[in-house]
Amino acid sequence: MTRPRKARNGATPSPSQADDNEGPTASTSTTRPLSLLNLALSPSERDEVKVNNSNLTDLKNACDDAVKRFLSRPDLFKQIHTHTDVRLALGWASVFVAAGTAYYGWKVEFEQSKPVVWAGLIIYVLLTALQALYAYFVEGDVVFVGKRKTFEKRIVTERITLSSHTTPSKSSKPPSYHLTATYVRSASGGKSLLNRGNASQGRGYTTFFDEKGTMDQERFETWVAELVDKVTEDKSQ
Amino acid sequence: MFAEELKTIRRLGIRHVLLQLLNFASVIASGLMIWKGLGLITNSESPIVVVLSGSMEPAFYRGDLLFLTNPANVPYHTGDITVYKVPGGQIPIVHRVLETRGVVRRASSSAKKAAAKGLADEGKEGAVLRTQPEAEVEQLLLTKGDNNHIDDIDLYEGLEWLERRHVVGKVRGFLPYIGYVTIAMNDFPKLKYALLGILGLVALVQRE
Repeated sequence: MTRPRKARNGATPSPSQADDNEGPTASTSTTRPLSLLNLALSPSERDEVKVNNSNLTDLKNACDDAVKRFLSRPDLFKQIHTHTDVRLALGWASVFVAAGTAYYGWKVEFEQSKPVVWAGLIIYVLLTALQALYAYFVEGDVVFVGKRKTFEKRIVTERITLSSHTTPSKSSKPPSYHLTATYVRSASGGKSLLNRGNASQGRGYTTFFDEKGTMDQERFETWVAELVDKVTEDKSQ
Repeated sequence: MFAEELKTIRRLGIRHVLLQLLNFASVIASGLMIWKGLGLITNSESPIVVVLSGSMEPAFYRGDLLFLTNPANVPYHTGDITVYKVPGGQIPIVHRVLETRGVVRRASSSAKKAAAKGLADEGKEGAVLRTQPEAEVEQLLLTKGDNNHIDDIDLYEGLEWLERRHVVGKVRGFLPYIGYVTIAMNDFPKLKYALLGILGLVALVQRE
């Protein structure tokens, strides 16, 4: 595991963690990936995030973006963009079909154009329906899908999926943000399963946003790091 | 304002930009497809039109929105209000049918065609035409605006009768005053671009 490149706020990997990652230990399946807790960026390196406090969608989007930013850092996971790519492909395909059909209908006289316009319309409806179904069933609440490969005697692949949802405020509680993390660790191209984890936690938005709407990114990232650590920890140890 | 947006874009990457553009593009695409779909269902080239002149007062005034259908083999009757476009004419015209001359033929039989030819519309024809649901209808129409003194022969650019293929549709319903938005956008094109620009900006900046 390469040493983190950015300057940290005086935090360095503790000796026990360095041991875990450098030499092979008696049973390699119990080595644990580097804890995320020490990877906080110094405040001056961040862009400030400021959102509208009363808008739940904005708050959720800001948290989702922070999760993506944090976990797709070069020394953490590599983001897999499959869901986004499928949405983009279906969406843009439907836009081009619509544009082509409209242009054809404009150029060619009405009666003659009817069969082609019918075909274009049906294809457009199908593509749009497919896109909606994919977003609802396959993608769902997923915010981030990441992969990481490490090498200790053999190639170990880790895959983490994070999904989020918001619970609106009740009379006693503020609105809160729930993150669910699913983790799989496998070797030899996914054939042998080494570890699997599942965890879910919620925090009120008030924990991360002040009254002006500025996001406390360090605190948020610490919380996400804790959650990821919890889900990656090796239960057999 | 743009510095903020550029920073956000750099932070979130090209996929984000493509997604936002997709938002905007799909709004336009769905609008186009709804329009085309409506045109196909009503069998009319332009199912929603705006009245531009006062030739149909007091029924329709300038700025009214009209809803049209053009059922394929259903004959038009005297009294129907039609929108038609004369070949070589600039704009569609909304006037009432004054006279029709109908030709009804069954797709299969040419003998019946000879028999049915030349029937003038005197009310009886309506009954005859309606009992032949499979028939192909070919009609010739003469129209006149309610508020005009003379019929439309001068508008037909040399034709004596209008044919069904010139007719965009028959008026089924209307909404008063709404059409003024379209009239304004046509008379002041800058308004149209301004509206489109605002729509685009809102769609790009917003996130679902």
